[in-house]
Amino acid sequence: MFRPSPGQSALLGTTVATAALALFGFAGASLGSAIVGETRYLGVDQKAAASLDAMKAQYRRPMSIPFPKDNPYTPEKLTLGKKLYFDTRISVSSAQSCASCHSPAFGWADGLPVGVGNGMAQLGRHSPTIINAAWGAIFMWDGRLANLEEQALGPIQSPGEMNMPIDQLMERLNTIPEYKPLFAAAFPGEPMSPKTLAKAIATYERTVVSQRAPFDNWIDGNEKAISEEAKRGFALFNTKAQCSSCHEGWNLTNDGFQDIGLPSEDVGRGKYAPGVVKMEHAFKTPGLREITHRAPYMHDGSLKTLEQVVEHYDQGGVNRPSRSDLMKPLGLTSQEKSDLVAFLKTLTSDLSPTAVPVMPR
Amino acid sequence: MRLPSLTIVVFMGLSVGALAANLTISQQGRAFSSESVTVKKGGTLTFLNDDSVPHNIMSTSAGNEFNLGSQPPGSSTDVTFKEPGEVMVICAIHPRMKMMVKVTE
Repeated sequence: MFRPSPGQSALLGTTVATAALALFGFAGASLGSAIVGETRYLGVDQKAAASLDAMKAQYRRPMSIPFPKDNPYTPEKLTLGKKLYFDTRISVSSAQSCASCHSPAFGWADGLPVGVGNGMAQLGRHSPTIINAAWGAIFMWDGRLANLEEQALGPIQSPGEMNMPIDQLMERLNTIPEYKPLFAAAFPGEPMSPKTLAKAIATYERTVVSQRAPFDNWIDGNEKAISEEAKRGFALFNTKAQCSSCHEGWNLTNDGFQDIGLPSEDVGRGKYAPGVVKMEHAFKTPGLREITHRAPYMHDGSLKTLEQVVEHYDQGGVNRPSRSDLMKPLGLTSQEKSDLVAFLKTLTSDLSPTAVPVMPR
Repeated sequence: MRLPSLTIVVFMGLSVGALAANLTISQQGRAFSSESVTVKKGGTLTFLNDDSVPHNIMSTSAGNEFNLGSQPPGSSTDVTFKEPGEVMVICAIHPRMKMMVKVTE
């Protein structure tokens, strides 16, 4: 009588189990990947349309700025970070600072369709704002950097931008005596390094927050704070126009990557997610606070006015496989379009001017 | 004897598959309903989009790669995990959506 040894039993068992799987309809798949089954369509109960109060509650401003555990806020880091942010000497030409492209004068961006870098060369994409960056989940239009500390060192070293190798920057800072006590106060016991430089700049950036806007006063209960057009615009934003699918919450973004059908060759996030169709031409959703200070719009600065932006969404953009399922012609009336723009304008505050610090010498 | 033990293995495989409901991961509010789950090798998770927006659930973890593409609200798809190990599952669209699937032997 055949008695399988333990090893042979295991092999038998595996063979049978595999055969059973094949019999019972699991789709074949190549070795080295999970098996994806068929998709079932269910009538999942969508919640009844939220009441206006419930909608408004999602837009309430947070009470404090989040700082990461490994880079908590201190006033000394803030002081150092602000000086570094405005210091043109961090670029090889000594002509460009972070503030050159992310300027308080232009909603913390630069008012240009695309940024300008080393040698006045045009860059590939519109400079994003740093407003409310403290709440960001991921950074750059294509999401290639995880946090502000990483991002701070990017443009400094990028040949097209500040073109300053980081070691050369640290040497230059070492020749500016007044930086030494600033670094020592911000990072006691630590030497001056790219890491502490980045932490200081990131700390300052986190304090750049959109201020109270008329929209916030309306959210908090003041019915006179915004116009009736703007209130209608808010409702449209959350319903027919579907804007809140991506521009959700108090900062009007969930940082999601979508292709919104702009006629641009730039593949954006697609470079870092090869083979994922919906990531081709996808870019990170920006927030909308202080939006009237941040024209022109889109990753390539191709839309000059908020009216053009609303028009783009109403038309639905280029119909291609990568385009988000959410993008389609909306059928907005001209009143609805102007109501949406009226709402967007209420997101802008009376931004107080920013004092430029005196540079260490 | 050989034949009865073969039969038992097949039936056990059948009955376990039929009786055990797949663990379902839902996505309402742009969030996975669990941060971390454990399944046995060959086990299946059901990814349910009960949110109001499309999601694109995927993983690039070696041995358990998959990509559900754009999954519309109200749909659900099963994924069976073949290789033991840790599988980082994300939504390509929404960077805050991350969960870990631990696949055991």
